Amino acid sequence: MQLIGTSRTRAGRYGWLAAALCMAGVLNTASAAEPVSMQYPIAPQGSYKGLDVQQPIEFPHDIHTAVNKINCLYCHTYARQSKVAGIPPTSKCMGCHSVIATDKPRIQKLTEYWTNKQPIPWLKVHDVPDFVHFTHERHLKRFIFDNPEVMNNLSVDTVAPVCAMCHGDMRAKTVARKDKPMTMGWCVSCHEKNGGPGDCWKCHK
Amino acid sequence: MSLKNLVTDWSRYRQGIEEGGFQHYEHRWGMTIDLNACIGCNACSTACYAENNLAVVGKERFAKGHFMHWMRVERYWDENYAEQQHPEQGASFLPMLCQQCGAAPCEPVCPVVATYHTPDGLNAQVYNRCIGSRYCNNNCPYRVRYFNFWSYYESSWPEPLNLQLNPDLTVRDKGVMEKCTFCVQRIRVAKDQAKMENRKVRDGEFTTACAQACPASAITFGDLMDQDSAVTKLWARHEVARHDDKGRPVQEQHKEHPELRGYRVLEELNTDPSVMYLERVREELA
Repeated sequence: MQLIGTSRTRAGRYGWLAAALCMAGVLNTASAAEPVSMQYPIAPQGSYKGLDVQQPIEFPHDIHTAVNKINCLYCHTYARQSKVAGIPPTSKCMGCHSVIATDKPRIQKLTEYWTNKQPIPWLKVHDVPDFVHFTHERHLKRFIFDNPEVMNNLSVDTVAPVCAMCHGDMRAKTVARKDKPMTMGWCVSCHEKNGGPGDCWKCHK
Repeated sequence: MSLKNLVTDWSRYRQGIEEGGFQHYEHRWGMTIDLNACIGCNACSTACYAENNLAVVGKERFAKGHFMHWMRVERYWDENYAEQQHPEQGASFLPMLCQQCGAAPCEPVCPVVATYHTPDGLNAQVYNRCIGSRYCNNNCPYRVRYFNFWSYYESSWPEPLNLQLNPDLTVRDKGVMEKCTFCVQRIRVAKDQAKMENRKVRDGEFTTACAQACPASAITFGDLMDQDSAVTKLWARHEVARHDDKGRPVQEQHKEHPELRGYRVLEELNTDPSVMYLERVREELA
């Protein structure tokens, strides 16, 4: 890099500045070119170590999402259309597992529930208090269906980071565990950064 | 909670009508109650109990004034009928509920900002924040705020009645004030639905429990900011306005024509109520 200046010292000094600016520019463009992080909403900060919930079947979220690339919304299909995300009916599990991995003990336990026509007594991990109105469908519309960044490349790898804002990255977990605090301040921090409503009665009921 | 939220937004919500009020309304929910149509059957009150998880307190507590009915039907007796053969003909009814004042006297006195003005023009009560000072109740000229003196849920809904509770509302505990919300849980659902479909809330899409239950259709509910809503047209037809031409709050309606029956209760207190009543008309006694 050559900068022509009247005095050598000044040229040298400006040269260093220009180089620094250039490097900063390179860094900026590099971070803007990141596939998802810039366009994604600002996730609320904070972590929490939830209880180890003993589910009837130790459901491996990581195998389903990270390995087999099944979209979160395939099983938690109610999230897009109602307040609760819901758990899938056993018939949905059996849609695949009547033929896949039938020799594994966890699948045999699942088949047992299915043949006995009994619902699996899953335990709820993420629960908001009764005085809070929370609806999945509005949040999914804002962060998934109205987000071209996700919709142009719809896969588990674009959807899971949105779910991860509140539920942690399920691609790295087996059974669900609460690892966000889910307190009011935590909710509000996200609402403030992403322009969510700030009215008390939007959430408090 | 950021400092901006506390300083800017809260003071904006709490502006009085003299200072121009809160001007950025998304909606301004309003109501009309036609006293000519009202038959005093208390269906509105009953519907409110069912919708809003109101506690049934029992006779003794009721006598002490611990009742919790957000919607009550007040009875008045016309003195001119006292000497008549059927004095009960002089009865008239006034369903009284929270008037959702634009300049609510309950709001500025709350020491913990548990009651505030929403962008929908409602007086909100946040139960989690309420400490039960009852100052708001003392400042309410309509006496439509109710205090939980007891943990009514322990006795009001014995098994299996607890299953009738509305999950869209909290069951309030001892020590908090509560009041009519204009069925905010229904408003919330309607607004969510409208946003999911990228449209505005339609008039008549939903209504409050009292309006829904009224057998005489005396109650009309809607958005006063929607020029085509039934409630706006009723207000206009009876020439009841919240503001005069210069945008100043109206404290008295000047009506000459006897067909114009609309009025707002205790309007002269400058509370800017959102409920308009239509006066009852009787034939003159001979």
